[in-house]
Amino acid sequence: MNVVLASSSIEGGIGCWDLQTGAEQLRYKTCASPPHGLASIGCRFLACSQLRDPSAASGHVLYWSWSKPQAQVKSFPAEPIKPLAANSEGSYIVGGGSSGDIYFWEVATGRLLKKWHAHYRAVTCLVFSDDDSLLISGSEDGCVRVWSLFMIFDEVRKQQASHLYEYSFTEHTLRVTDIVMGYGGGNAVIVSASEDRTCKVWSLSRGRLLRNVVFPSIIDAIAIDPGEHVFYAGGRDGKIYIAALNVESSPSNNYGLHIIGSLTDQSKPVTCLAYSAERNLLLSGSEDGMIRVWDVKTKKILRMFRHSKGPVNNILIVRLPYLLSRAEPKVQASSRRNDFSLHPPLEKYANSSDEDMDNKAIITLPDTIDLPSYLSSQLINDHIKQLQQQGSSAAAEMEVKRLKLVGQRSMEMFQQLKKVYDKLQEFCVNELLDGQPIEGSKGN
Amino acid sequence: MVRSKAPSKKQQKKGIDFKKIKRKLGRKLPPPKNATNTEIKSKAIVLPEQSVATNKEGLAVSKKGLTLKELLQQSSHHNAKVRRDALMGIKDLVINHPAELRQHRYAVIEKLRERISDDDKVVREALYQLFKSEIFPGCAEDNQGLFISLLMTYIFNAMTNLAIDIRLMAFKFFDLVVQYYPPCFSLYAEKILQSYEDILRKNQFYLEDKGKLKTTLSGLVRCLSLLPSKKPESEKSISGDRIIHAFEPDTPTANTGFSTIIKKLKELVLVLINCFQDFIPLLNSMPQLDVLSFDCILSMLQSIDIAVRFFIYGIHEETPESICDQTLSSALSKKLLGVFPLYPKHHLSVKEDDRYFILNVVIAAIFLHLRELVCPSANVFEKFLEFIENALLGTICSSTRSGKATWEKHIPLLLPFIPKLASEVQTGWQSRILESFTWTFKDCNPESSLKLACLSMIEEMLIPRGYMHYTKASDTVVLDYQTVWIRELPLLLNLLGDKQPSSSQVVLCLLLRLGQFSGSNPFLFGEYENIQFALSEFYSTCQEGNLYYGPFMRLPRDCQELSICCLYYFSNLNVLLLKSLTFCCLCSELEPFVSFRIIEVLHAAYKAGHIQIVDHISFFMTLLSRFKILPESICPVRESDVKVSNHGTFKSLTAMLCSYLSQMGDSSVVFHIVEKAILGLILLQPPLENACAMLRVLIVLDSKPTLLSEQSIIALSNFLPGYLMDVVHCIPEDDVQTWRYYILPCFFMFDRSSKLLKLVLDVIGSFLTDSNLSLPSDTSTRYATDSLSRINATISLLLLIYKDVKVRKIISSFRTEIGSILQSIASLQSSEVKMTLEERHRFQSSVLEKHFPLVRMVGNQPRGRSSFVGNIEKKYRFS
Repeated sequence: MNVVLASSSIEGGIGCWDLQTGAEQLRYKTCASPPHGLASIGCRFLACSQLRDPSAASGHVLYWSWSKPQAQVKSFPAEPIKPLAANSEGSYIVGGGSSGDIYFWEVATGRLLKKWHAHYRAVTCLVFSDDDSLLISGSEDGCVRVWSLFMIFDEVRKQQASHLYEYSFTEHTLRVTDIVMGYGGGNAVIVSASEDRTCKVWSLSRGRLLRNVVFPSIIDAIAIDPGEHVFYAGGRDGKIYIAALNVESSPSNNYGLHIIGSLTDQSKPVTCLAYSAERNLLLSGSEDGMIRVWDVKTKKILRMFRHSKGPVNNILIVRLPYLLSRAEPKVQASSRRNDFSLHPPLEKYANSSDEDMDNKAIITLPDTIDLPSYLSSQLINDHIKQLQQQGSSAAAEMEVKRLKLVGQRSMEMFQQLKKVYDKLQEFCVNELLDGQPIEGSKGN
Repeated sequence: MVRSKAPSKKQQKKGIDFKKIKRKLGRKLPPPKNATNTEIKSKAIVLPEQSVATNKEGLAVSKKGLTLKELLQQSSHHNAKVRRDALMGIKDLVINHPAELRQHRYAVIEKLRERISDDDKVVREALYQLFKSEIFPGCAEDNQGLFISLLMTYIFNAMTNLAIDIRLMAFKFFDLVVQYYPPCFSLYAEKILQSYEDILRKNQFYLEDKGKLKTTLSGLVRCLSLLPSKKPESEKSISGDRIIHAFEPDTPTANTGFSTIIKKLKELVLVLINCFQDFIPLLNSMPQLDVLSFDCILSMLQSIDIAVRFFIYGIHEETPESICDQTLSSALSKKLLGVFPLYPKHHLSVKEDDRYFILNVVIAAIFLHLRELVCPSANVFEKFLEFIENALLGTICSSTRSGKATWEKHIPLLLPFIPKLASEVQTGWQSRILESFTWTFKDCNPESSLKLACLSMIEEMLIPRGYMHYTKASDTVVLDYQTVWIRELPLLLNLLGDKQPSSSQVVLCLLLRLGQFSGSNPFLFGEYENIQFALSEFYSTCQEGNLYYGPFMRLPRDCQELSICCLYYFSNLNVLLLKSLTFCCLCSELEPFVSFRIIEVLHAAYKAGHIQIVDHISFFMTLLSRFKILPESICPVRESDVKVSNHGTFKSLTAMLCSYLSQMGDSSVVFHIVEKAILGLILLQPPLENACAMLRVLIVLDSKPTLLSEQSIIALSNFLPGYLMDVVHCIPEDDVQTWRYYILPCFFMFDRSSKLLKLVLDVIGSFLTDSNLSLPSDTSTRYATDSLSRINATISLLLLIYKDVKVRKIISSFRTEIGSILQSIASLQSSEVKMTLEERHRFQSSVLEKHFPLVRMVGNQPRGRSSFVGNIEKKYRFS
């Protein structure tokens, strides 16, 4: 089940709707998020950084499990965190601080693995690349930087290099408002939007500007279509502009070079966009608290979700895990609780204990899944230990559950087969009985 | 014409058969007297144009009638004069028939290249001119690689010729080739360097013929400057309409062959150093440094400089340490750096001073490149530092105008080393160097390239590139100078004015970078904040009530954009700067786009917490109340008014500010702040447009049961009637869109507060009583001042109200008020005392026209006709 999640900068909770049917699901309570502050951690649970008083010294990050409206885990990082991002597996969370630092946590243990000074001013958005090896950050100082996680965790190379980042793009003059990345890992293009009214397209492989698109208003949100033909840019004038990436654009049009057209609904400023590749839908959140679902082909609105009075500033499209989408409240509640106890809050400071210096290195386990996964060795050790210790109780319990399920399935299967067999027999008998006269008639 | 033989033949036939005619041998009849002599005699036929054998019709020929083929044949004639003439002929032909050259270029080259090593000087010179002026420019866009390779073999051949003149000429040719086809150097680098080395080794010649040496050396400088270097980052322009994932052809990088030439280059440098050394005694013996020898020495030094730079920063595999081994470094330090500084022996002219200064600057630059490799003794180092300090301070150069120009031209060579020097030398020297650098920065002409070079150095010193942890600059010495630089920037901006936008742009870029960077450095943070005071002058200043606009207004769009972006990074925008920005926005000369951009960026800054909410709102309010509408009247009367009118701009400004205000957060809180400000402004009777804009702001922030306080409702009820009447008075009735725009805010207010409506109706009613009408000057309205127009306006207003369905519903509960208004109108009519007859007539016709429908509308209300309507109708019937 694909759900749409939306949060707002004023207290309004996180709204959740089924994208297919439009039915509203559970609303997760008490959430006031900054832009780019909402993240789903590997589709297992939700995390959202919270807006706080400017005077507050520490940040605030909340976790929700899918099944409960209340926040389950609260963490208080060392400084206000605005953007949050997680890698596709959900093993790490990255947060951007208001001082320009980037924090790198491990979800399973809550440990702060790394923290580095990334920008001169507050970080505004964070994006992981497809293969989770690159992190792209945008900042209030107009800088877009590309970080390789290999570099960040490589102490030796760090010493030698003159700078940590792979690229630093400084062409934007004002705050970077959004970054999206195309497909293709290290060869991808990235598109960044800024308050200087431009969107810029960069090449990751060549590390240079490919295209500069000037819009008639400030762009706060961008979404890229899966074919990378165009990208959509939501402006403060309430329009969603369509800008050419890989299609030829005619030089004479209303809005400017490279802008092909727009989606308009006379609405208030567009604050966030999301693209659902499955059904070719574009979702836009607006200042007036509405989420509009657009069909990009016809440029019509298919559906609207009402989130709150205040501005929507985050939209996520998440594919909920299978178990969850089938309502099995009882079983789930217990299992979820167990699950959640695994996720401790994020740590405030890096553990400066020197005992496990090598533990911070990333190791790869290539044969677990087709994608390489990166886990710290300490976590792996923990897992191994747990497996050894709990092999008796927890594992057995899981095994029993699984076997029960298998038994049930095979019973169903057996019943079905039996039915089919009965029918077949009946059919054959009838056929045999009726067969004679028909054949006889045919012979004539 | 009579033929001499014809008659005799006739006779022959006519004669009797077989009659023998006797003829006398040896005698002929004398020619008849009238015979014409048909004999033709000629000696020779001279055809000036064409011969029958070679038909040159339609072929391109030179002035002398020779085709290209013939000319090319002649170019290898044994006579030098013919050869030269042939070359001249080709030139001539090519000028007149450019297509000819394009067709036969390979044939031409193949033939002409033989002449590169021609024995005759004049021929070579003619060939050179031909190549320079015609052939190379003519074949510029062709496949030059093939073209060049045809030439190069012959050039190399000539370079090894025994005659020195031919060799020199070959270098000149090569120089020409490089000018037109730079990659050719990288193809033949090793061979070329060898040739240069060979010729420079022949040291007996250059002391004699400096002119030729000079041309050779300048060619060398040009070649060497083609060596690839890491330093300059070539900014590729983003191509306009290409699609992004399009195939991009790989341009061959011509840097491949350069690793191999290092050895050759090293030898060349050694030769150059020897050359230089040979020149030194010559200098001392000469009475003064003449131009030729100066140029020679300069070219040598420049070549060494380029070579050294290539060793250190170039793209090759070897490390600088391995290149600058013992032999090279010792030669450099002894023979070159040892003689530093050069100074005139016989002090004669200021010009000579400047020449020596230039040479010294180049030597110093070489030294600074090599500093880490050579490891100079403290003594030598000191000597150079002293020179740099003096050079920056401008004490070495002459103080004449040309001296100053030389100084500005050559000092940039030393500047790139300043940041590194300043961070590495001891404290004493550090302050001296920085002091002199600051002096240079302040002293040089703001529009010169030196200023730009200084600015880029300042950027490097203020904003460390690369690794972020470099920001340790806690040195008080450095901080002092940084303060001076930063404070100089806005002043420089004002000084530059709009004379040189490119320089202004550089300064603004630096300011922007500074702003972006300042967040992470507390010292810079404070300094950047302080810029605001000086920067406000850049926008506008207000002195003794007079407004002076700064350079901002006149700069091109991209500079304006940059300077607007700078505003975002002030963490606390002060009121002075905000004020000067407001004046800019209000100026009618500024393009609306730019002023909208200012507002947009300031709002972004407010959102980021860089502007106090009170300041921000008062900025908005000032814009709304002080914006000057041109032309004054609401409705454009003439065509010319439409053009200059800025109503549209003001409308979009209003819409923009409304949406910003509604986004500012809790609208009820914002409303209370805005309410006070607006009511204060509204009571000053602003022009209609501004009043309308402010009312619009109020209704955008207000909600259905109004948030207006008691006090402000009363204040508004005193203001609105006048406003409404003015609107109705000024706008023609048929312009529905316009009056809707102006009246709608009032309707919204009436909808939200019925109390306000009642008060307003009361006030309108009281206008119409006798005592008020007689007052000649009432301040509540600006336009509808006389009583007649006021009555007129009242009636139209009521009509408008009744036309709007929604408001009619609201107003239906205020029958008594309406009734009293109608009654007083009616009574006024009956008791007109002071009016003249004419006035009376006008009044009656206009009022009656409207009054009846109005009364009917009021009467048509669902609850039946009340008595007063009846009364009024009666009255009309009587009159």
